[in-house]
Amino acid sequence: MDFDPMVMDDAESLGPVVKISQADSVRTKFELSNVDISFANSLRRVMLAEIPTIAIDLVEIEENSTVLADEFIAHRLGLIPLNAEGVESLVNSRDCDCEGYCEHCSVRLTLHAKCTGDENMSVFARDLVPTGERLNQVLGTPIVTDSEGLGPLILKLRPGQEIKLECIAKKGIAKEHAKWAPSAAIGFEYDPHNKLHHTDLWYEQDPKAEWPPSEYAEWEEPPQEGEPFDYDAVPNRFYYNVETAGNLPPDAIVTEGIKVLQQKLAGLIHELTEGEGGDGANGDYNGPRSPEYNTGADGFGGYTTPFGNAGNQSAWGGAGGTTPYGTTPYGAGQSSWS
Amino acid sequence: MPTRSKARKEEPAEAGSDIVMEEAPTSHQPESKDDDMSLPGSTPTAASFEFLNEGHTLGNALRYVINRNPEVEFCAYAIPHPSEPKMTVRIQTFEGTTAIEALEKGLRDLQDLCDVVTDKFIEARERFSAGASS
Repeated sequence: MDFDPMVMDDAESLGPVVKISQADSVRTKFELSNVDISFANSLRRVMLAEIPTIAIDLVEIEENSTVLADEFIAHRLGLIPLNAEGVESLVNSRDCDCEGYCEHCSVRLTLHAKCTGDENMSVFARDLVPTGERLNQVLGTPIVTDSEGLGPLILKLRPGQEIKLECIAKKGIAKEHAKWAPSAAIGFEYDPHNKLHHTDLWYEQDPKAEWPPSEYAEWEEPPQEGEPFDYDAVPNRFYYNVETAGNLPPDAIVTEGIKVLQQKLAGLIHELTEGEGGDGANGDYNGPRSPEYNTGADGFGGYTTPFGNAGNQSAWGGAGGTTPYGTTPYGAGQSSWS
Repeated sequence: MPTRSKARKEEPAEAGSDIVMEEAPTSHQPESKDDDMSLPGSTPTAASFEFLNEGHTLGNALRYVINRNPEVEFCAYAIPHPSEPKMTVRIQTFEGTTAIEALEKGLRDLQDLCDVVTDKFIEARERFSAGASS
């Protein structure tokens, strides 16, 4: 097999090109070109949802005399961005050997505030104090970027009110809950002149007059007057705007995103090559299996698919009482349940 | 009372679909253990693979990379049902290679592509910060 997946069909077969137009502590704007839209979109998706970070996941409230309900405060705490530097050495709490949580898979933070003055008091993220053993000195510290050094407002206390709680921050990904998202937003666009007609621009009289040009419009050649539509054209230049929520630097979001994608692939290659040697790999495997093995006969009746009824009943109507989903406990007339 | 065993006995009357159902397992040749496996009905050069807990993120990019392999006749991916965490990839190759090889090559090629993009990004980032400071 002698072909280079990096070489595109275009005239400039240089492989992928990255051009950065802005990079600071909050955002990175870059252009990725000479890749396929499928890869560009994979990168966007993986940055959005699958980069592990750390966020508060458990809250134990000892004292709450504020006007806000416990669960309301717990939710707010979950959304506070925490520094995720070094999160890769944190064990995923579900994979940890400990029961519940420990210092290898979590960071403990405490919050204790009481309003003793006679004016209302605000409690900010900086008042969340990491305690106990930590993998490094910054992991799990609330992100504070405002000039006063306060961080996000959590709640307010009237005179005499008190809040005392303990939080457990765990590692996770945004696919499970958006609080683990490393990015505040990811801008993704291509074809600023809509030459490919992937978008229908809504308009009253004239879309050109009513829609502001994209900031990338001048980077690309505008369509010529009366230019015929190119049916073979594919998007080639993709403009990203990766804005961090603070937990990871924007560059790290990009590199981590690609890393996550590679880890996915590495895991699959490993499984593919491992499984090849042993024949009948499905035999002693009791995890997820391909549908046909989930026959109702072996007690899997609960969730067989239409393909899953090999020797038992046909999904297309053998015995009476079957559902299209095979021998459900309800459908088979009589089963081990009765 | 219709029991399971009775249901099975009644089955032969419905020979057509029964045979189809029973033929599937003989051609089922699982290659891998965990996340993905080929689905019933595969031949060496044509197979469908099922990936658990994967979606468009992997599926679309992988489909593209596999399709760039000149020895691949056909490759497509699907998410059969949005509420099942499954993604399937169909690969058909020309003689001379197998669907599994094409899949493995696709995975490795996508990894290489990721490597290149990482390098290019880091390089561009360094060039940008060098340009900004000077």
